[in-house]
Amino acid sequence: MNPFLEHQLLQTRRQFFGDTGLRLGGIALASILASQERSRAASSTVHPALPGLPHFAGKAKSVIYLHMNGGPSQLDTWDYKPGLVDQFDKDLPKDFLGPRITTMTSGQGKFPVAPSKFQFAQHGECGRWVSSLLPHTAKIVDDIAVVKTVHTNAINHDPACTFVMTGSEVPGKPSMGSWISYGLGAETSDLPAFVAMVPNFPSGSNAQALFSRMWGPGFLPGKHSGVVLRGGADPVLYLENPPGIDHRDRRAMLDALGKLNTRSFEKFGDPDIQTRISQYEMAFRMQSSVPELTDLDQESQSTKDLYGPNVDKPGSFARSALLARRLVERGVRMVQIMHRGWDSHGNLPNELGNQCLDTDQACAALVTDLKQRGLLDETLVVWGGEFGRTVYSQGKLTRETYGRDHHPRNFCMWMAGGGIKGGVELGETDEYSYNPVADPVHINEINATILHCLGIDHETFTLRYQGLDQRLTGVEPMKVIKKILA
Amino acid sequence: MYFRHLPLIVSASFALLPVGAEPLQFNRDIRPILSENCFACHGFDAKKRKAKLRLDLGEEAVKTNEFGDAAIVPGKPDESLIWIHITSDDPEEVMPPPKSLKKLDSAQKETLRRWIEEGAPYQRHWAFEPPEKTPGAGIDPFIVAALQSKGPALSPEADRPTLIRRVSMALTGLPPTLAEIDAFLADPADGAYERMVDRFLASPHFGEEMARHWLDVARYGDTHGMHLDNERQTWAFRDWVVSAFNRNLPYDQFTIDQLAGDLLPNPSQDQLVATGFNRCNVTTGEGGSINAELLYRYAVDRASTTAQAWLGLTAGCAVCHDHKYDPITTKDFYSLYAFFNSNADPAMDGNALLTKPVTKVKAPGYDAKMQAFTERESAIQERMTAEAATLVYQDPADLDPLPAAREIEQVWFEDAFPAGAQVAASGHPVTFVEEPVASGSKSLKRSGAGMAQDYYQAGAQPLTVPVAPKFFVHIYLDPLDPPEEVMIQFHTDQWKHRALWGDDIIEFGAKGTTERFVAGQLPKPGEWARFEIEGSSMGLTAGMKVVGFAFTVHGGTAYFDKMGVIGRTDPAADPALSFTAWRQAQAGKDTPGAPNDLKAWLKEGPAKERRPEEVQRLRDYFVQQVCSATREHFAALHTELATVQKERADSDAAVPSTFIFNDLPQPRPSFVMIRGQYDTPGEPVVPATPAVLPPLKQAGERANRLDLARWLVAPENPLTARVAVNRFWQQMFGIGLVKSSHDFGTQGSLPSHPELLDWLAVSFREGGWDVKQLVRLMVTSRAFRQQSSAPSESWANDPENRMLSRGPRFRLDAEQIRDQALFVSGLINLDFGGKGVNPYQPPNIWEPLAFGGSNTRYYKQDTGADLYRRTLYTFLKRTAPHPLMENFDMPSRESSCIRRDRTNTPLQALQLMNDVQHFEAARVFAARIMGADPSPAGRVRFAYRSVLSRPPSDEETAIVLEFFDAQLAKYKAAPAEAKKAVTFGESPPPAGLDEPELAAWALVANLILNLDEAIVRN
Repeated sequence: MNPFLEHQLLQTRRQFFGDTGLRLGGIALASILASQERSRAASSTVHPALPGLPHFAGKAKSVIYLHMNGGPSQLDTWDYKPGLVDQFDKDLPKDFLGPRITTMTSGQGKFPVAPSKFQFAQHGECGRWVSSLLPHTAKIVDDIAVVKTVHTNAINHDPACTFVMTGSEVPGKPSMGSWISYGLGAETSDLPAFVAMVPNFPSGSNAQALFSRMWGPGFLPGKHSGVVLRGGADPVLYLENPPGIDHRDRRAMLDALGKLNTRSFEKFGDPDIQTRISQYEMAFRMQSSVPELTDLDQESQSTKDLYGPNVDKPGSFARSALLARRLVERGVRMVQIMHRGWDSHGNLPNELGNQCLDTDQACAALVTDLKQRGLLDETLVVWGGEFGRTVYSQGKLTRETYGRDHHPRNFCMWMAGGGIKGGVELGETDEYSYNPVADPVHINEINATILHCLGIDHETFTLRYQGLDQRLTGVEPMKVIKKILA
Repeated sequence: MYFRHLPLIVSASFALLPVGAEPLQFNRDIRPILSENCFACHGFDAKKRKAKLRLDLGEEAVKTNEFGDAAIVPGKPDESLIWIHITSDDPEEVMPPPKSLKKLDSAQKETLRRWIEEGAPYQRHWAFEPPEKTPGAGIDPFIVAALQSKGPALSPEADRPTLIRRVSMALTGLPPTLAEIDAFLADPADGAYERMVDRFLASPHFGEEMARHWLDVARYGDTHGMHLDNERQTWAFRDWVVSAFNRNLPYDQFTIDQLAGDLLPNPSQDQLVATGFNRCNVTTGEGGSINAELLYRYAVDRASTTAQAWLGLTAGCAVCHDHKYDPITTKDFYSLYAFFNSNADPAMDGNALLTKPVTKVKAPGYDAKMQAFTERESAIQERMTAEAATLVYQDPADLDPLPAAREIEQVWFEDAFPAGAQVAASGHPVTFVEEPVASGSKSLKRSGAGMAQDYYQAGAQPLTVPVAPKFFVHIYLDPLDPPEEVMIQFHTDQWKHRALWGDDIIEFGAKGTTERFVAGQLPKPGEWARFEIEGSSMGLTAGMKVVGFAFTVHGGTAYFDKMGVIGRTDPAADPALSFTAWRQAQAGKDTPGAPNDLKAWLKEGPAKERRPEEVQRLRDYFVQQVCSATREHFAALHTELATVQKERADSDAAVPSTFIFNDLPQPRPSFVMIRGQYDTPGEPVVPATPAVLPPLKQAGERANRLDLARWLVAPENPLTARVAVNRFWQQMFGIGLVKSSHDFGTQGSLPSHPELLDWLAVSFREGGWDVKQLVRLMVTSRAFRQQSSAPSESWANDPENRMLSRGPRFRLDAEQIRDQALFVSGLINLDFGGKGVNPYQPPNIWEPLAFGGSNTRYYKQDTGADLYRRTLYTFLKRTAPHPLMENFDMPSRESSCIRRDRTNTPLQALQLMNDVQHFEAARVFAARIMGADPSPAGRVRFAYRSVLSRPPSDEETAIVLEFFDAQLAKYKAAPAEAKKAVTFGESPPPAGLDEPELAAWALVANLILNLDEAIVRN
């Protein structure tokens, strides 16, 4: 217990025993203290769950979402199409082309097939086909479920990113992490419920914009917004005291502030004042808990080696992945890492190679690390972009290089950990990886499944806004993907 | 007549009235139950309707089916099918069905039973009925009557310091000054409070505070909001909103101007600027997008926002299907959408600062300024004419006999480039100097560390190369900075004629050809040299037309003067010498640079008969601008004219523009879009308003936005006035009389004081939509003036204070919190309007998110006074808002927002304690504190009064001073730490103050600005 609360507790007891009756301040303090006690006993009162949630016992307690922004090519990673080698530079049959092609390629006279230039091989006990771009992820295929037929409605980055993260193409809806924070709260009193990270990416890659709405609260209360954990010296905004102010000064100020605010509470009776007192105390705790969190000196060399050499570089994807593990370990509910640069319209083999090099080892390390610590069973890891890429080349096509346009009809995502069956693959696409032929999965079905793993029924997890029972998964019926559940 | 005597109920219990005493009312007691549980299948949406049963209409609910049974048999619950179904134990029979996941509790069932027993009377949805004005004066009787029925009475009036801060914050978003507080405290006369209110209503900051609420509704931002999220210049709309509130523009006109200002007869500039409302939606320029899809989205956003802002209707639901709860069909929605679907703005915004249509925002005096330019130009023209009068020009073509061909000198460059030439420069701008000069009054200065040049290749009339041409030019090298090479270049069909002196390092043209003729060594620096070059060396031969030339240097400074060509010419046939020949040469052609009428005359050729004065004008033009024998006399005047013209252009370009709304000349056809898909049009629709509301009166054959706007503010519209007064109420009291201020439909919350809402709505409309008067009415009410302290039961029973048994108390908004800190510190810059500014912002808020090519990728923080502007003027990048906005619940402005949250988070605490903006304000405030009073207690008193308007209690002073003493001791022992603290931020600390003491007071100021009481409006 911190000194201020201890002092207040003493005061309260004195009042209780000294006065004939309890004063208002006493009641308030008593209730603060009671809630402090409860927070120790059960889950946090800093981030309480909604009453009635979770709906059922979910396998996963937390989610780490690895968003590969820009649209990774399914054809060069997971969706193996050996038959395409013979189709090199031949036109994609016209009846495959639908109306929704971006205007970047809809004017092309030709739609020449670009087979992947990368070698695929089978890995793991499940015999999963994986491209040579993902040598590390290839080693954990028995722990992950690959969905090859995810589809979305949007053909452009902005609406597609908004869709994948908020369940709607139109800005204004809460992000998935905000929904989860709103529903389940978090089991930490020292850190936010929902943390977002925006790591560096290879400089030569074609990067798209990110939007704060991807971790924003939409119409949910603002406290459910994702808190961005930054790469540099100030990992949470305004965490550091101003120059010349040290921890003890801040403590002294907060003691005075607590006393004065307690007087205000006695005067006004507004329970929001109690909340404010406890939020200032939480802010103070974060001033130590966040530096502790980001101090990787506590990690063993073998753990760091697992994530690869970039783990020591601030702002790297590898470091973010390791921080994600540390966050969920400390009770944070949702961690979302958004890695940019996957929008390979041209020079794809080179750009995609760099992207994979930057992320592959750390993605695999994260799953392995969680597993080694016994955390994988209660942590859901999700990997994927906002759409896939076309089988036909955009721009120049040679055996060595090609580009691919946006492709919303099928793309690959994988999930691992809490609630997910490892070593499975779901969905089949046609010979051009142009349309699903079995088990199509809408992006909001992925979202429904994520909620399911957390013990949330996505259909009843709603909030009335603008006359509608709003939910993450939209108004259309969506199903949980049973086939990949453990 | 509807729920006339609704008792005041705390929000949570609306649907759970104790069954007893008074008769049930459909809207209050029954509709919420049916709406929540039944209407989805038995309501308005025909497509989703089950068993052909509607429970939303009384006449439908009592109809008998083929078996002679009815869902509702008034007076007889046991014979009513709905009672039988809702009480059934059979999972096949029970309603609502288990798979709907809805369930009626026993109290709800009992309420329905009693209602059927009472005859099952229906009411239309309250908000669609016209408001009725209960006789009475003022707000308080309604509040008091409601309170009386529940027990508690109004709380006592708050003390004056609390009142003035409450009013000042509510009306201006700033705390009162000590002088304002003292004046109010010292006014013992009746009406002191009202006079204080009137002072704040008259403040120009009133408009700023009111505007920011409306800008949430209007979804105003300074970027496009999607993809690149580039800057958009439309801040004139923001300033228009501020001014509209300050001018107290009546709300009906406020509505019409924004929705249809462009359609008014002779719209003023202000009315056009106001139409920016409908250009505030997010747009994109993302490559690959499908235009039809974007246009569809924009019209949907504009229709939904309009419905939301004025009607309080969540029409967006009807984009995909008939609204399940409100009588808004998809056809209604798309008919509304049709008003906005003929927008003239494009699908792709081009990522441009100004996406058309836009209008210039001319400041007062703009026209006079432009007139002054015109006058200066005319004066120069007159001097040219006077100069021309002194010259005798003889057209060689008029001589008899015609003069023989002879060698003459044509000057192409003297004190100026040829008339009309579009001169450009690489390196520093085009610079004429008066020293050194070889000829005339000026020379051209050109310098550069590498290659640099002045040139033109368009805009002027072609120059004809004479027979046996010999070019000449005057060059002077700067002795302090001699170049490595100088060059002249000529453009015929290409840049391929050059002569150079010096090192031959400028990489233009092929070496050893006429494209790169080495004319010799550089001249001696510090002296003028005249060079002559045979035209043939540069590939320039008789008859060629030169359309541009260039003066080029490399690695130093050179001056160029009088340049031209000597050659044999036939004066009578040379368009550069003979007026007749020139007219013949220009016949059928365009003459760049000439005034438009002259252009037309020249094109018609000399054959066309012209009046003498017309010919004279052509001749004057020829002599002044064209004739190589005479034009050099006018060169200085040409330069002067060009300077004025450039000034005019620059001045005009500096006038900002702003987005406005216009329709295409031909309306775009509109359709019901099936399931909200942009590419699946269904039934065609024309602009129309929802059928459930009073009919639209349209002026023309096809209804337009002006008709729509007038319909919104027509007296028979039941919603607009209610929605507006509710929003202003929410602003003043923290929560609306209708809590769901964005939703007045059947799913929205019921008004806490329906009669008051209607009284206010009708008074507002009948009083000429006078916003200031309405606000005055609210803040002078006794309800507003109550103290906000209350016993804990009051907070527990009515946490949102919907009964108004205590004064409003809620957290300040983001803008108010920052503005207050700046204001009390004295740092604040209270300038009005203009382009958004970039105050302190931590690094890497924009950069890690932005698209590479975005012009808002890098945050460039302002310096000086722009760091301290009011928060209303902070540049608003929608995809990465300023952390202050995010932390304190300001919406990102990507979509319309009618009501902000008020959260209470640790990130807010961190920001207010540690953000340089807030800490700098605290330490600057500390200097003011130290200057205010010599005694520590007096200083605490000053600080408290500045921030909270009230003095501290003795206990509070003691707590603050105990903290101060401890900090002072620390900083005395560690002066280096004190120095760091008092220099945080850009503004210099005042000289002469003891740094340890200032640092200790800075922490005190930081403490006081973080008090709960400082962050809320009491």
